[in-house]
Amino acid sequence: MSETLAAVRAETTKLRGIRGTQVSLLLFAAVSILIAALGGWSAKNALESDNPSLRSDFTPEQAGLDGILYGQLALIVFGVLVVTSEYTSGMMRVSLLAVPRRGRLYAAKMGVTALAALTASVPVTVLGYLVTQAALGSHGSSLGASGVPRALAGSVVYLTLMCLFAAGVAAIARSAVVPLAVLLPMVLAGTHILSLIGATKEMARYFPDQAGNELLTVDSPHTAFGFTVLLAWTVAAVGWGWVRQRRWDS
Amino acid sequence: MIDVQNLTKRYGQATVVDSLTFTVRPGAVTGFLGPNGAGKSTTMRMMLGLTRPDTGTARIDGRAYVDLTYPLRHVGALLETSAPHRGLTARDHLRWLAQSNRIDPGRVGQVLETVGLSDAARRRIGTFSLGMGQRLGLAAALLGDPPVLVLDEPVNGLDTEGIRWLRDLLRSMADEGRTVLISSHLMTEMALVADHLVVIGRGRLLADTGMSEFLARHGRSSVRVRTPEPERLARELASSGATVTRIPGGGLDVVGMPAADVSRIAAKGGFPLDELSTHAGSLEDTFLGVIDQAGAAHGTGVDDGTTGTTGSTGSTGTTGEEGRNSRV
Repeated sequence: MSETLAAVRAETTKLRGIRGTQVSLLLFAAVSILIAALGGWSAKNALESDNPSLRSDFTPEQAGLDGILYGQLALIVFGVLVVTSEYTSGMMRVSLLAVPRRGRLYAAKMGVTALAALTASVPVTVLGYLVTQAALGSHGSSLGASGVPRALAGSVVYLTLMCLFAAGVAAIARSAVVPLAVLLPMVLAGTHILSLIGATKEMARYFPDQAGNELLTVDSPHTAFGFTVLLAWTVAAVGWGWVRQRRWDS
Repeated sequence: MIDVQNLTKRYGQATVVDSLTFTVRPGAVTGFLGPNGAGKSTTMRMMLGLTRPDTGTARIDGRAYVDLTYPLRHVGALLETSAPHRGLTARDHLRWLAQSNRIDPGRVGQVLETVGLSDAARRRIGTFSLGMGQRLGLAAALLGDPPVLVLDEPVNGLDTEGIRWLRDLLRSMADEGRTVLISSHLMTEMALVADHLVVIGRGRLLADTGMSEFLARHGRSSVRVRTPEPERLARELASSGATVTRIPGGGLDVVGMPAADVSRIAAKGGFPLDELSTHAGSLEDTFLGVIDQAGAAHGTGVDDGTTGTTGSTGSTGTTGEEGRNSRV
């Protein structure tokens, strides 16, 4: 057990020391909160000028979670980079010399990635929500509004799982290019477009991000469904990544 | 002590390492020699649990590498294909290594000092020169103060001063009773530092013997003479059955005749001698001779009388470019 804890500490130091991963975590916080502020501010203007461009289902509570939808892109990049930083140089060999048990190394890496995503997601989610409400001014809601604590917790779970999912996909691919080329467009637009087309609407519900969005939706009736689907994707990606790691022969 | 038993690795049709058996003993510097593609790096990776052997085992003090608790405290390794992440600083790289094996964090500063990288401790590894990267790799190998060192081409990229420093370091490590295995393609360097040799070709063991025994058994010693009339003496010696080659500066290199006979023939012919000396064969020539011989005997069984078994006959197609299987 203490060997595993030592590996976890080492992975934490690696994660802190590598600039790319640090920058992506900072971007996650910056983008989420910036979009939260801009979203709140423009919604406030729209409300006060009776602008019809405002979504019909607009609620200040839901608007407080919009920043996350953009910030998550940086967190996905973070999850991918944490894993692929081992493959860009000969780092994986050094890591395996230090921690030759592949299961221990992989578990430590994934555990630290999840922990970092979780630790960053809590303040960013809460702060993003509060910033939106502040920007909305008199139209803003509160942290304790109905369904909000649950949606904020759902957001933290969603972000952590999406980050782990990305890390798992990167472990499968062993390179950053393919995971980023697939995951970023998917999350940005792909599944949203599918969900608008009648024929693919039902299918789109089962994509990790679309399913996970149920966790971010205030008072969603499908939270359990969304959580289960996203969890299944994450377990599958991390599991397949483990198979690839175990077979890795340098 | 490193114990390699019947180790075999195949990649498709190519047998890169073929039934290799040898031990690396403590208290000596053991040189691991073989031409490119002989399987040295693959063997070293199998010792360190990075590559799975098809058959056989490699044990370090009785245990497989992956079964060692905190392996960096047992084995310090440097591999050509292992490189730390370029975005880390030298200090952070050594810090995470120390943490992963619960090594005293104070060692980080010590090994940086030892390899002369203290001033570059906070620089990102991506900005390092080849030699600095090599020094950092050596620092990582020394971090856990290990009783066993496995170093693949450790002098690569080091300057003259660095090479001398490494030579002294390896010497003192061996004198302290540690096990030191190094591979190098630089024969002159190997001749200076190694006490013992393990020579492989096409993945098979060709020799496992002390340096001096290796040279005595396989080397061609020669006699060097210098005289004002080299052409005539050369004719005289050649007519008595010696093989004579002219060397620059008026000297002759005589093979196949003891120094006493050379002296007698010279005296009989009235040749004044400015120099008469015997030379053991160089490691380079001896090594190439052994490799050539093994290549010629390939397929008919090799028996050079050394301690190792050299594998069964008739297996062909055992070539494989060193490092070709290090794809990620």
